[in-house]
Amino acid sequence: MDAAPQIAVENLDIRYGSVLAVENVSFVVNTGEQLTLLGPSGCGKTTTLRAIAGLEKPSAGVIRIGGQTVYDSERKIHVPAERRGLSMVFQSYAIWPHMTVFDNVAYGLRVRRKSRSEIEEKVAQALGQVQMSAFASRRASALSGGQQQRVALARACAFSPSVLLFDEPLSNLDAKLRADMRVELRDLQHRLGITSVYVTHDLEEALAMSDRIVVMRAGCIEQIGSPTEIYNLPRNAFVADFVGSANLIRGRARPDLAAGAHFVLETDEGHLVQALAHGRAPGPEPTVSVRTVHLHLSATKPEGPNAWPVVVRRSVFQGDFTQVHVAWGGRELVVRAAALAPLPEGSAAWLSVAPEHCVLLEREAAA
Amino acid sequence: MTGSSPRAGLSGKVVAGVAAAAVTGVLVLYPIFYLLQASFDVGDPDVRPPTAYGFDNYAALASYTRIMTNTITVSLAATAMALVFGFASAWMLTRTNVPWRRGFEQLMAVPYYVTPLLGALAWSLLGTPESGFINQIARALGAHGPVIDMLSPAGIAWVMALFEGSVAFVMIGAVMKSMDPALEEASQVMGGGRLRTMLTITLPLVAPGVLGAAVFVFAEMLGSFSAALVLGLPVRYYVITTAIYQLISQYPPQIPLAAAMGVSLFAVMFVMLFLYRRIITSRSYVTISGKAFRPRVMDVGALRWMLFALCVTYVLVSVALPVATLAFAALQKLAVAFPASSNWTLSNFRTAMTMNAVQQALGNSLILGVATASIGIVLMGLLSWIIYRSRLPGAPVLEYLVMFPQAVPRLVFAFGMMWAWLVFPLPIYGTIWILLIAYLTVFLPLGVRTISGVLLQIDRSLEECAEMCGAPWGYRMRTITMPLLRPGLMAAWILLFIASVRELGASILLMGPHSKVLTPAIVESWAATSSELTAAMALIQTVVVALALAFFMAVTRRAIAVSGD
Repeated sequence: MDAAPQIAVENLDIRYGSVLAVENVSFVVNTGEQLTLLGPSGCGKTTTLRAIAGLEKPSAGVIRIGGQTVYDSERKIHVPAERRGLSMVFQSYAIWPHMTVFDNVAYGLRVRRKSRSEIEEKVAQALGQVQMSAFASRRASALSGGQQQRVALARACAFSPSVLLFDEPLSNLDAKLRADMRVELRDLQHRLGITSVYVTHDLEEALAMSDRIVVMRAGCIEQIGSPTEIYNLPRNAFVADFVGSANLIRGRARPDLAAGAHFVLETDEGHLVQALAHGRAPGPEPTVSVRTVHLHLSATKPEGPNAWPVVVRRSVFQGDFTQVHVAWGGRELVVRAAALAPLPEGSAAWLSVAPEHCVLLEREAAA
Repeated sequence: MTGSSPRAGLSGKVVAGVAAAAVTGVLVLYPIFYLLQASFDVGDPDVRPPTAYGFDNYAALASYTRIMTNTITVSLAATAMALVFGFASAWMLTRTNVPWRRGFEQLMAVPYYVTPLLGALAWSLLGTPESGFINQIARALGAHGPVIDMLSPAGIAWVMALFEGSVAFVMIGAVMKSMDPALEEASQVMGGGRLRTMLTITLPLVAPGVLGAAVFVFAEMLGSFSAALVLGLPVRYYVITTAIYQLISQYPPQIPLAAAMGVSLFAVMFVMLFLYRRIITSRSYVTISGKAFRPRVMDVGALRWMLFALCVTYVLVSVALPVATLAFAALQKLAVAFPASSNWTLSNFRTAMTMNAVQQALGNSLILGVATASIGIVLMGLLSWIIYRSRLPGAPVLEYLVMFPQAVPRLVFAFGMMWAWLVFPLPIYGTIWILLIAYLTVFLPLGVRTISGVLLQIDRSLEECAEMCGAPWGYRMRTITMPLLRPGLMAAWILLFIASVRELGASILLMGPHSKVLTPAIVESWAATSSELTAAMALIQTVVVALALAFFMAVTRRAIAVSGD
C-alpha cells in the first residue's frame, strides 16, 4: 500500500455561486509526506484543504483518501467529514472553551468509544508530545495563544488519524513564537511519520516544513515541486516572485550566441544575460528570473559572464540584509545582500550573477 | 474509516432539517392560507369552504377610511414620539457623560417588560377625563374640567410611544455604539469642528440606523393592539387591530371583512419590514464591521445633570408611575386620588387570588409559558442551526418562513389560526393546545433571532473540528453546539416564557371558556368588572413575570459561572 498515494485529488472544481474558487486542481500526497498548499490569500488553497477534509462540497472532480473514494462528482459520492478518518488543526485553533484541555484532547477518542484507560494513555501521550502535560485539567479558555495551538495539535494527533490537515495553524502567533512552532511542528511530523497537508501563505513556513509544495494562484495550480525546485526553478513569473523575491528580465533569445547548455537573452538595451534553460523552450517573449539574493555588487569588474556596470539609486538597510535598487540600462533591478558596505546613492558599481542562478521561465499561456 | 454507505451519515442532519422545516411550514403557512381564503370569501358566510370568491371584501374596506386614518395618525404620532425618546436617550447614554450611564442602559429595557397593556391600564386610571387621578388632583387644585384625556388618540399614541421608545433606544443605541470613533476623530484631526463633525460625519453615519428603527417601530405600531383596546374602545375610537377584533367578536361576526382587513394590514407591514431590511443591509456603513467600539463620550458639563433628570423622568413615567398607579388603585375599594382611610383594602388581591377563573387563567398561563419556552428552544434552536449553519439547500427560504410571523400582527395571525383549526380534524380548538401552537408560531422570530444571535458568535470551526474528530451530527450537537449555545438557549427560554405569559393579541381570539389565560382575562375583567380588581390582577402578572425573570437570571448567572472559569 505504501506505493499508492495517501491522498489523490483529481480535476477538482469548487464553485461558490458563479465564482469558480478552485479550478481543475489535481495532485497527490504520498504516504508520510508533508505537502504544502502555498499561495496568496484567496487563491483557493484553504478551500481545497476543506474539500479534502469534507467540510466543503466540491462541484466536480474526485478525491481519494487511502485508496477509498470520498468524493466523486460523477458517481455522486460525498463521504461526510466525520467519516473520512482525517484530522485537522484549524487557523483559529477551535479549542472548545467549555471543556478542559484533557476533554478537548480526548474528544476524538471518546467519539471512537475507546476504553477509559486507553483514552487516558493516549491523551497523556499526545499532551506529552506538545509539552502540555501539566495543563490537562486546565480550562481551555484559560490558555494563551501558543498553548492553545499546542492543545489543538495534541487533539488532532491523539486519535492516530491517517492524515493531518493544517489550515494556516501558525498565522495567529507572533513572529518569534511562529518560528519556534515551525521547527516543533516539523519535528513532530517526522516523529509521527504522519501524512499531512499544510496550508499557508507564508513562504518561509512552506519552504521549511514541506517535502513538496503546491503553489496556487486564483484557484489554479502554478507549480508542484520540492522546496528547492520551487525556489531554484520557478516555472513562471508568478512563482518566481511569490516564492522569494526575484527580478524578471525580459528580452529576446539569441540562440546564435549560446554555448553549451546556456541560453542567452538580449535585453532591449543590448545587455546579454546567460541563463540556464533546464530543457525549457523559450517562448516569443522569453523571461529570465534572477533572485535578488543571487545578484552581487562589487566595486571592480568581476570575472566571467553576466557582469554589467550599474548606478546605485537607493540603498535601504533592512536588518538581516540591505536592499539596493540599481539602475541597469533603462530599468531597475533589486539586489539583496547581507553585510554590504554602504553604497552612496549615485555611485557606480558592477553587478554580476552566476549563469546557473539565472533561470529561463516557461512560456506563459496566453494571458 | 467505515465507508459502508457514504450517504447514510447525512441522514441525522437531513431528517432533523426536513422535519423542522415541515413543522415550520405548517405552523406558518396553514393559518395564512385560511386567512387569505376567508378574505376572498364572498359566498354564504355560514358555509365552509367558501361558495364564491371575489374582491368584494377588499372593496368594502373603502368605507372604513376613518379607521385607516385613525391607525395612521396614532402610529405616526407614536412613532415620532418613540423615536425622540429613543434617539435622545441613546445619544445621552452612549455619547455623553451622563452620570450612572451603565445603570440607565439596563433600566431602558424595563419599559419593554412592563408591556403596553399595563401602561394603558395605569394611564387610563391616571388620565380618564372624569375619574383619572391626575384630573382629580387638578380639580382639587382648582382646575376646571379635565387637564388630560387619555381616552383619546393622543393618549393611545403616548402609551405606545413610552413602551416602543425602549425598542427604539436599543436599535439606535446599537448603531451609535457600533460606530468607530476613529471616523469622527479623523474629521477633527483634519480641522473639522465639533458641529461640522456632527453634521457631516456622525449624522450621516447613524442616519440609516435611525431610519431603519423608524420603519421598524412604525410597523410595530400599525400592528399593536392593547393600548388601543384599553384606551380607544371606551370612546369608540378604533384602529385597524381593534376594528378587526370588533368585527370578529361581535354578533354576527364579519369574518371575511375582518380577514380582508387583516390581510391588508399584514401586506403593509410586510412592505415596511422589507423596507427595513433593505435599509439596514444596504445603507448601513456602521454596523457592517460588527466590531464593538468604545464610543467617544462628550463632556457636556453641568448639562449632564439635566440629562440625568431627563433619563430619570423617562424611567419614572414609563415604569415606576404605571406600577405605582396600579398598586395604588388595587389597594382601594374604589380607586380615587384622595382615598379615605376606610377605603384601603387588600380584598382585591384576595379576590384575584381566590377567584376560580383567575386561578385557572394563571395556571394555564404558567403551564403554557413553560411549555412554549421548553418546546420553543428545541424547535427554534434546531431552526437557527439549520438556517445559519447546516448549509442545507433551502435554508434561506426557511429563514424567510421563520421570520414571516414578524410581519403579521399576532391578532391577525391568531385569526387565521382560529379559522384554520376550526376545520382541522384534530379537536384542539378551544383548548390550550391551540394556544401552545399559536405561541410557538408567533414567537418563532423572537426565539430564532435570540438563539441565532449567540449561534453566529460561535466560531464555525469549533463545530467543524468536532466533525474532523469523527463525531456524527447528533454527537456534535450534544457535546459541542448545545453547550456552547447554552447562554442563547437560556435567554431564549426566558424571553419565550415572558412573552407567552403576557401574550394578548393571539390569546384573546384563541382562548376558550375552559382554556383561559391571564392577559385576556385581565382585559375581560377591565371591561366587565372593577378596575381595582383588574389592577390587582395586572400586578400579580407583573410580579409573576418579574419573579420568573429574577429566578432565571439567578440560574443563568450560576450556569455561566459554572461553565466559565
